[in-house]
Amino acid sequence: MAFLKTWRNLPLHIMIFPALALVLVYSYVPMAGIVIGFQNFLPGKGLFGSEWIGLENFRYLLDMPDTLQVLRNTLLIASLKIVVGEFFPIFVALLLNEVRKLWFKRGVQTLIYLPYFMSWVILGGILIDILSPSQGIVNQMLGWIGFEPVYFLGSNDWFPYTMVMSHVWKEFGFNTIVYLAILTSISPSLYEAAVIDGAGRWKQTLHVTLPGMVPIILLMTTLSLGNVLNAGFDQIFILYSPSVYDSGDIIDTLVFRTGLQNAQYGVATAVGLFKSVVSFLLISVSYIVSYRMANYRIF
Amino acid sequence: MQSRITKTWIAALTLALLATACSGNEQKDAGESSAAASPSATAPAAGSASASAEEAVDPLGKYDPPIEMSFGKLIDQSMKFKEGESIENNAWTKLYEEKLGIKVKFDWTVAGTEDQYFQKLNVAVASNNIPDSFMVNAQTLAKLAEAGQIEDLTPVFDKYLTPTTKELYYADGGNALRAATFDGKLMAIPNISSEIDSTSMLWVRTDWLEKLKLPEPKTMDDVYAISEAFAKQDPDGNGKADTYGLGVDKLLWDGFPGLEGFFNGFHAYPNMWVPDASGKLVSGNVQPQMKAALAKLQEMYKAGLIDKEFGIKDSAKVAESLIAGKLGLYYGQPWTPLWPMQDGKNLDPGMEWKAYPLPSVDAEPAKTQSLFPIKQYFVVKKGFKHPEALVKLANIYKSDEVANNQQLYSSKDGIAFFKYAVTAGSDPHQNLNAYKKLSAAISAKDPSGLSPSDKAGYDHILKYLNGDNVSWGNYLVFGPGSSYSIIDQYLTDKRIQYDAFFGAPTPAMTEKTAALNKLQLEAFTKIIMGEAPIDAFDKYVTDFNKLGGEQMTREVNEWYAKQGK
Amino acid sequence: MRMQRIAPSRKAFLVANYAFLCLLAVSCVLPLVYVLAMSFSSSSAAAGGLVTLWPVGFTTKSYEYILEKPAFSQAFLVTLERVALGTAVNMFLSILTAYPLSKESTQFKPRTFYAWVFVFTILFSGGLIPWYVTIQWTGINDTIWALILPGAVPVFNIILLLNFFRKLPRELEESAFIDGAGHWTTLIRIFVPLSMPAMATIMLLTIVTHWNSWFDGLILMNKPEHYPLSTYLQTIMTQMNLTTLTAEQMEDLANVSDRTAKAAQLFLGALPILLVYPFLQRFFVTGIVMGSVKE
Repeated sequence: MAFLKTWRNLPLHIMIFPALALVLVYSYVPMAGIVIGFQNFLPGKGLFGSEWIGLENFRYLLDMPDTLQVLRNTLLIASLKIVVGEFFPIFVALLLNEVRKLWFKRGVQTLIYLPYFMSWVILGGILIDILSPSQGIVNQMLGWIGFEPVYFLGSNDWFPYTMVMSHVWKEFGFNTIVYLAILTSISPSLYEAAVIDGAGRWKQTLHVTLPGMVPIILLMTTLSLGNVLNAGFDQIFILYSPSVYDSGDIIDTLVFRTGLQNAQYGVATAVGLFKSVVSFLLISVSYIVSYRMANYRIF
Repeated sequence: MQSRITKTWIAALTLALLATACSGNEQKDAGESSAAASPSATAPAAGSASASAEEAVDPLGKYDPPIEMSFGKLIDQSMKFKEGESIENNAWTKLYEEKLGIKVKFDWTVAGTEDQYFQKLNVAVASNNIPDSFMVNAQTLAKLAEAGQIEDLTPVFDKYLTPTTKELYYADGGNALRAATFDGKLMAIPNISSEIDSTSMLWVRTDWLEKLKLPEPKTMDDVYAISEAFAKQDPDGNGKADTYGLGVDKLLWDGFPGLEGFFNGFHAYPNMWVPDASGKLVSGNVQPQMKAALAKLQEMYKAGLIDKEFGIKDSAKVAESLIAGKLGLYYGQPWTPLWPMQDGKNLDPGMEWKAYPLPSVDAEPAKTQSLFPIKQYFVVKKGFKHPEALVKLANIYKSDEVANNQQLYSSKDGIAFFKYAVTAGSDPHQNLNAYKKLSAAISAKDPSGLSPSDKAGYDHILKYLNGDNVSWGNYLVFGPGSSYSIIDQYLTDKRIQYDAFFGAPTPAMTEKTAALNKLQLEAFTKIIMGEAPIDAFDKYVTDFNKLGGEQMTREVNEWYAKQGK
Repeated sequence: MRMQRIAPSRKAFLVANYAFLCLLAVSCVLPLVYVLAMSFSSSSAAAGGLVTLWPVGFTTKSYEYILEKPAFSQAFLVTLERVALGTAVNMFLSILTAYPLSKESTQFKPRTFYAWVFVFTILFSGGLIPWYVTIQWTGINDTIWALILPGAVPVFNIILLLNFFRKLPRELEESAFIDGAGHWTTLIRIFVPLSMPAMATIMLLTIVTHWNSWFDGLILMNKPEHYPLSTYLQTIMTQMNLTTLTAEQMEDLANVSDRTAKAAQLFLGALPILLVYPFLQRFFVTGIVMGSVKE
């Protein structure tokens, strides 16, 4: 019996093999490079010839005058991006799901993913213009409804939220597509049954659509937890400035400025390792929790 | 794409000038080399350079049989190729092979900016897969020297120099070579660049000056008065308070607009090392003069003379203000007429600008600061059999061969051939000399003394004088009363403050510079914007010393003491 | 959905919904309109920040310039090759890997172990240099495979797909087995056709990833002629460092103000990928039909 099962499962092993071989070569072999985080890595001396310095690279970062503040900024910006970035596409997907005019639905779907393809170099220039306190359109509109101009990009009170909002705006169209695909996989018979039970649109959304999306929402959230220390280098690097270092300097920009002075591979690798460990812990915990609580394996 | 061609022309012109300027020396040199050519031809191939040391040394001798030499190279954003040519197949590669017997190969090339080139170089270095010769920056040079990945050039460098290249490399008293020397060994050939091309000057919109009946700026008080008038008296006459009196960007220090010149007016020298009264080197960042300049900037910001939003604007954003006619005064480098001013002139032909030497806050004339200009070095991989080949390549770059061959520096339609060369290094005063020749010819309206290539430049600038604004920017850089006339004046009056430190980055610099730069930008921006009182400068000085500035000063002075000997 | 009587509150919601989605869509289109307007403007007007949503000083020079320049079309071809090959490889591996991983542990015991082996690779990496050295060691440097093989296993997509596979009714698989079909037949005949919306989604993700990646092209390719489009665009978009300008770089200043040509290339570079989604959209609808067939 056991033999029969193994024999029947043999194709499953064969199917996995090509991908397994590729990740072994291109992901696991290079992981040996993690040791660079514990070295004073000199490219010329290589992985084995470079001097071992233990935790010196980590200590170097901790000794920087504002590491804690930078860590706090990173966590704030990244976690807000995760939360809002998860919520908003679901919201938009549900709204689109209510649209019955197919051309409109398709049109909107196509248009909202346009910003995803714009680079931050371009968007940065646009944002500086439209968010300007003196001439920007956004502040003019705020003025019409009686608000004081807001210095979105130059004030420490606003900068992190400006980053979160503009990031979500740029990326939401893309995740919306994933959620819309999930919506199509919810069986129409469930809706029909709900209608027979007398459920209106709102009840249907609440009792059929959302539960149908829960596994994917869990999955997407879990995977995005891996980004809790990635606050978005490209965006912040283009938009931050000395006046918002207090609230906008993140791990990646700090490492970048450090690296400018010197190709500090050791420090960069140490930071990468730190981020990986944190992501790994978060993802493991949420994997275990969702398995124990909901009996659902995320992957 | 008129402007593209225009600007290529400048580079072509300057190289032509540099080559012809040197040809006087070159004559005797060429005689020597042809005499020595045949006997040495096989010598270097026989063994290492030191083995053949006693045999005839020929700085431009040909390898027979030819040798192969591999390179890595940056193909920058402006490089172009003729139909059928490439980086591996052009007039320069042919020259190298025919005259020197060196077959130049490229292991890899990178298109883009220098940063991208260094990214690629770093992985190549790390995977120990470097070409025989390539360009590096000071940081990488220090690492390569430490790891022993590059060849010591001491035995071959002086021996193989031609008189022309000797003059080039020793023109600054050997500082450039000292920067490439580690433990007494010369590990690289520096790319000689100009210490005067990035000095700062004051740029003012003269059509606004006239309109508001203001005098030309001579003192710092004039600067304040002019910027106040530019900000408050509606110089563009549109009835809106939308103009600024002083251009500043978020980096504070920049080519356009940079505050260096403003600080220099207070005898303060940011981001460099200066000797103090006792003869020790101190960081310009923490001197009391800085505080005075910052206080003035704070005042100007408060009075609305500086864009309230400068803190988030980069160079290109400030350029928008200038081009759109909202900015009338800034401190900047000599090339700023080419960008962004030229674009402003294209939109508003009435726009006029003029450069002024830095005004001073007191009776003592202001000195413009000049950072150490050598940013690039050429190295030879450890174990490469012919390290002298790099010296030969550097020699031929400066030879008659190049000077007399148009095909090696530029085409009529603006392709800059000289960028294909695998070495570089130019007379630091090439642009200054170009200015001298051109402005003299223009003033005299007599181009007869000019070489054919100078004549091309002359004709181009003449376009502006005949009413075509397309070469207006060039006129402002090279014509009479141009940026280089200011630099000429700086040199004559000895009004340049040179960075006193030019060694490899010290350990503290490697570790602490990032943190100290952040500290400085943050503190200065806050002071200027009035978010912190001017006395915050004193706290900045304390923090600077505490966070590594003190250690850096010690190390810099250790280096300085060694230089004296 | 059958026609219902529309309550006033429902009506209000629909109006607000349409209005909101309209606004959202407009905000997403405007930046592209800006880029387009820029590409048709005179370069001085663009450098002066005078262009908003309509060209200032209309000219088609930028487009003429791109046509003259082989680099753009060359890079475009490399990208097409990369997307075609890369998507084929990624899709093949995604489907092949997601199927066994979608089994329950009771059926295929090592699945959880395998799943973690894959997830681990998106969490940990050795950094740039070991990655480069490994790719060089496998000898695919400077070939199109360097852009495809190192990222050939799209773990995120596999996870997404395996979750879709799991939602397919278990009975279909069981009845197929009773009919004598093996895993291969079940995968190809039943799982793949029934997951078209999921396939379309991950295909879109894959295409977009390949289209947008630029860093690998820069580091792994030894000649600019081998750069894919996004790498090429990146090299023209990066700003020169104006603080350390040398005399010889002065001519490069022409590029600083060349926003119009950059805009034109960005626009042309984004255009094909913008058309991919509307094309793939029909598979999403197919999915709905499939869903009802299942009953």
